[in-house]
Amino acid sequence: MLSRRIWDSFFRVPLLGWLIGILIAVMLEHLLGDSLVDVLGLSKIPALFGFVIILKNPILMPGATLYVLLIYIIPVSAVARISSWPANKLAARLLDFPIWFSVVIHLGLFYAALHMWSEISAYRLLTLKLTLIAIMVTLSLNVVNGYMGEFSCSHPGFMALGAYAASVVTVVLFVNDRLFGPALLAPAFGPFIFPVALVTGGMVAALGALAIAIPSFRTRGDYLAIISLAFMFIIKSMIENLEVVGGPRGLSSQPDYANLPIVFFWTIACIWMTNNFVRSILGKALNAVRDDEMAANAMTVNTRRTKIIAFLFAAFWAGVAGGLFAHVLRYVNPATFGLQKLAEVLAMVYFGGLNSVYGSIVGAVSLSLLGEALRPLEIFKWIIIPLLLILVMIYRPTGLVAFKELNVRNLVKPKQ
Amino acid sequence: MRKVLLLLVSCLVIGLILSPCVWSKTKIIKVGINAPLTGDIPKVGEGTKYAAQMWLEDIKSAGGLEVGGKKYPVELVIEDNESKAESAVKVNTKMITQDEVMVIVGPQASSQAIPAGEVANNYKTPMISPWSTNPDTTKNRPFVFRGCFLDPFQGPVAANFIKEEFGFTKAAVLYDVASDYPKGLAEFFKKAWEKANGAGSVVAFESFTTKDVDFSSQLTKIIKSGAEVLFTPQYYNEVALIVQQAHELGWNKPITGSDSWGSAETVELCGKDCYGLFFSTHYAAAGAKGATKAFIDRYNKKYGYVPDDVGALTWDALQIVQKAIQSYGKITGNVEKDRKGIRDALANIKEFDGITGKMTFTEDGDPIKCAVIVRISEKGEYEFYKSVCP
Amino acid sequence: MVFFFQNLINALQWGSFYALIALGYSMVYGILMLFNFAHGDIFMVGAYIGFGVATGIAALASLGAIVLPNWLILVLTIIISMFLTSFVGILVERLGYRPLREAPRASAAITGLMIGIILETGNLALLGARRVRFPSLIESATYNIGGVYVTNKKIMIVGVSLMLMLALHQFVRRSKYGMAMRAMAFDYVVVPLMGVPINTIAAMTFAIGSALAAAAGILFGIAYPVLDPYMGIVFGWKAFVAAILGGRGSILGATLAGFLLGFIEIFVAMIFPSTLRDFIAYSIILLILTFRPHGFFGEPYSARLRL
Repeated sequence: MLSRRIWDSFFRVPLLGWLIGILIAVMLEHLLGDSLVDVLGLSKIPALFGFVIILKNPILMPGATLYVLLIYIIPVSAVARISSWPANKLAARLLDFPIWFSVVIHLGLFYAALHMWSEISAYRLLTLKLTLIAIMVTLSLNVVNGYMGEFSCSHPGFMALGAYAASVVTVVLFVNDRLFGPALLAPAFGPFIFPVALVTGGMVAALGALAIAIPSFRTRGDYLAIISLAFMFIIKSMIENLEVVGGPRGLSSQPDYANLPIVFFWTIACIWMTNNFVRSILGKALNAVRDDEMAANAMTVNTRRTKIIAFLFAAFWAGVAGGLFAHVLRYVNPATFGLQKLAEVLAMVYFGGLNSVYGSIVGAVSLSLLGEALRPLEIFKWIIIPLLLILVMIYRPTGLVAFKELNVRNLVKPKQ
Repeated sequence: MRKVLLLLVSCLVIGLILSPCVWSKTKIIKVGINAPLTGDIPKVGEGTKYAAQMWLEDIKSAGGLEVGGKKYPVELVIEDNESKAESAVKVNTKMITQDEVMVIVGPQASSQAIPAGEVANNYKTPMISPWSTNPDTTKNRPFVFRGCFLDPFQGPVAANFIKEEFGFTKAAVLYDVASDYPKGLAEFFKKAWEKANGAGSVVAFESFTTKDVDFSSQLTKIIKSGAEVLFTPQYYNEVALIVQQAHELGWNKPITGSDSWGSAETVELCGKDCYGLFFSTHYAAAGAKGATKAFIDRYNKKYGYVPDDVGALTWDALQIVQKAIQSYGKITGNVEKDRKGIRDALANIKEFDGITGKMTFTEDGDPIKCAVIVRISEKGEYEFYKSVCP
Repeated sequence: MVFFFQNLINALQWGSFYALIALGYSMVYGILMLFNFAHGDIFMVGAYIGFGVATGIAALASLGAIVLPNWLILVLTIIISMFLTSFVGILVERLGYRPLREAPRASAAITGLMIGIILETGNLALLGARRVRFPSLIESATYNIGGVYVTNKKIMIVGVSLMLMLALHQFVRRSKYGMAMRAMAFDYVVVPLMGVPINTIAAMTFAIGSALAAAAGILFGIAYPVLDPYMGIVFGWKAFVAAILGGRGSILGATLAGFLLGFIEIFVAMIFPSTLRDFIAYSIILLILTFRPHGFFGEPYSARLRL
């Protein structure tokens, strides 16, 4: 009975309370992490919640479990529970202001927590950045495959376009490169021009999307699937033949602009814009087109225009994600954007859940982390992960969190 | 519920008491192996892994690696990079920051070695890529080295050999356009050949894409072009197909290749079709002497096949690492300091006599070593034909 | 002219593989409206099973347990492997597709993709990373007909493929089960109500598709005797293109589209610089679809993803 009541009381903790809890847990890790690790007999702070340690060396399991318990689970839940009342009050107070104010506060707290968490090790930082990028790609593909109900295979191609376009802009402007000659602008301008480079990448990807959209949206059916697949092959072959950008050898030496705040900012922008897009009239029209194109047409939805806009929108964000990806790795080659990447992105979308912003976030984060956590299994990792996905598909055919709207007001409101 | 909880807590406590005994803080030399165990080139990953495990065996049977008169245990951290660039970067970051390895061997393919080398250099961790032939891998990266010769050397070797041996003037090239190693080599070959025989003497310069199996269209074009010899710097699986298909299409002139032919599987997959062909490589398995032969025999006995060049190069890279650690002469326990010391020791190695030949290192960390021309005998063995030094 | 005919022969062989694999793909796609992304990997499994069977029979023959001419070994290998691989197909259907029959189509596509990855990695874990050489069951003989080189293998491959396609065509046109399949392709909801056993027909569709993939795998092994665990991926995706290009549920369409794909790839490499092959080949397909958006033989239809 008691445990039930404690359990229930957690549902009254607002998001603000959880964020404060996480922040404090992360601070705790900064302060006590190293000494706790010594006491527990671990060699280093577990980077990803101890999974890797446990799989690699099962004898360290108690230590790793205890570490996660002491640093994360207990402090987060305790702080969240204790701060529940003031946090609720505060959340209510914040709602008196315009909604963006509250959102910014929440995001600020969240970013602070992420930033401190990732400072512990560079491996965390890299995994975090790539996960954020994966969220962007998954979300943009969800717009086409989930909200629009088509089956598009061209996202690696869009990413490639974005990655190369953004890289070319930054490398030409700011790097003394053997392909493009000396830098044109002083490096101080770099961080200011970088958003322009990313948007250029997105625009180029959207332009490429237009090449698919025009032929494929003349009819309904599975033709988008193969047109987009053909498009992917075309893009890959085209970049391989473009000696200007290095051909199959790839393009390297991108400047190091994609730090965590930048990637975080763009990811949030992507989530925000996508959420607004799918909840707008256009987004509803998109769902109508998916459910019954004929009826939608009868209801005065301009189906072709709707589909093309959504497709370009998705391609744009895939391009931006590609640009960030190139600047995080500081190297791109065409082989990266092949069938392997396609399988990965598709898996993330369908695992997380169709037609849902939450779903894309869940899918991208869980598959990225799973991929890292199961590393010690070597080859068998690629048997376990697909098996897990099949099970999810069988028991939840539309994905883990499908058809759920992300309502920001509901998210930040007090729970009492 | 309570019982389960009690059990769990007691387990945790007991485990906790025990675990520090297991993990005592001795100084360990950790060596990271960044290998493509899954993905496009699992065979390369396997060769790397096996060679590394053999090396570890040696160290273990000697009771540890002797550095400055003291023996230290060695641990290998083998990670899979899935043949993906981003995964190779993650693996390097993980090994450097989480596992705290002192030195990294791998990744093998240039498309992974270039971005991974960036990470290694940024974190000031020495890295040797045994197999990456792209100049960018080591360029301006003091911490990154390699174990093989570069494309600009091997291309002319192959071209000059054909010229001298056969006296041909018209050559054809067939290569994989989507893979940077064959593409680079094909271009350097073309340059060297046209320098020797005049412009337009490469009469057919044909390509295909990774994973293609049918080359009939390209080969038909090559045959029509009137070329006297075909140069194909491809991997062993493609070599088998190219040679067989060329013969089926009526090609009966010589076919030559590069070090990527140097796998035991070339002959196994290709069969009689490949007998009598020449290629340039790092080492010749048949007719090998001394340490090279010992390595091949041991590997063959343990894993059931003659090692590829990847295995041999990885072995050499590990020997170089071992030599560097030993000449550094101490393990301080401060990883950053040790890494710097090992890097300096690596850079100071001017000459090394490995199983893939004698090599000297340049400023950029690239080795200069002799290439070997190998002929595939009528018994399907790799015979030493001649040696070409820069 | 010789040059052209040589390439024509090359394209016929290459197209046969695409056509055979696309047929298996098209069976499932046409009748159950599913993307069977595991098909390429079933092709790979079929080739490996063929490799196992052929090596086994050859070993028995060399021990003197049985005396068989080579051509009979080949026929036996093809039949046994087709039979065995059809069970792999049934298994895939039972585990990955049947539970998802009411789910969105794309979800089933994802399970297919994942089963494919499991098959690849499972093979890698079981047999190691070594590539295997498919035993040469027939002695290669090359004939020179007026400058055009033709091998007995090429003739056999094209012949066997055409025979299999014809057999399938007859089966679907003439037999009772074939009629049930066509009916199901026509209407997925009402036909089961008429007493057509949907599960049997679905399993049979997968079995036939997989058997065809196995045959393609063995022929592949004869023509390109290097097998590796990842060899099915590209074939799978290209067969996907061919199957849809051919039009839904059209056996003739899938066959033609498979051959077309092979011809485009070979002839583009013949006419243009071969570096640009993929670029031009897929641009042509893009163009074809722009002007013929329903594929060759498909009816204009509105396929709804059942979401």
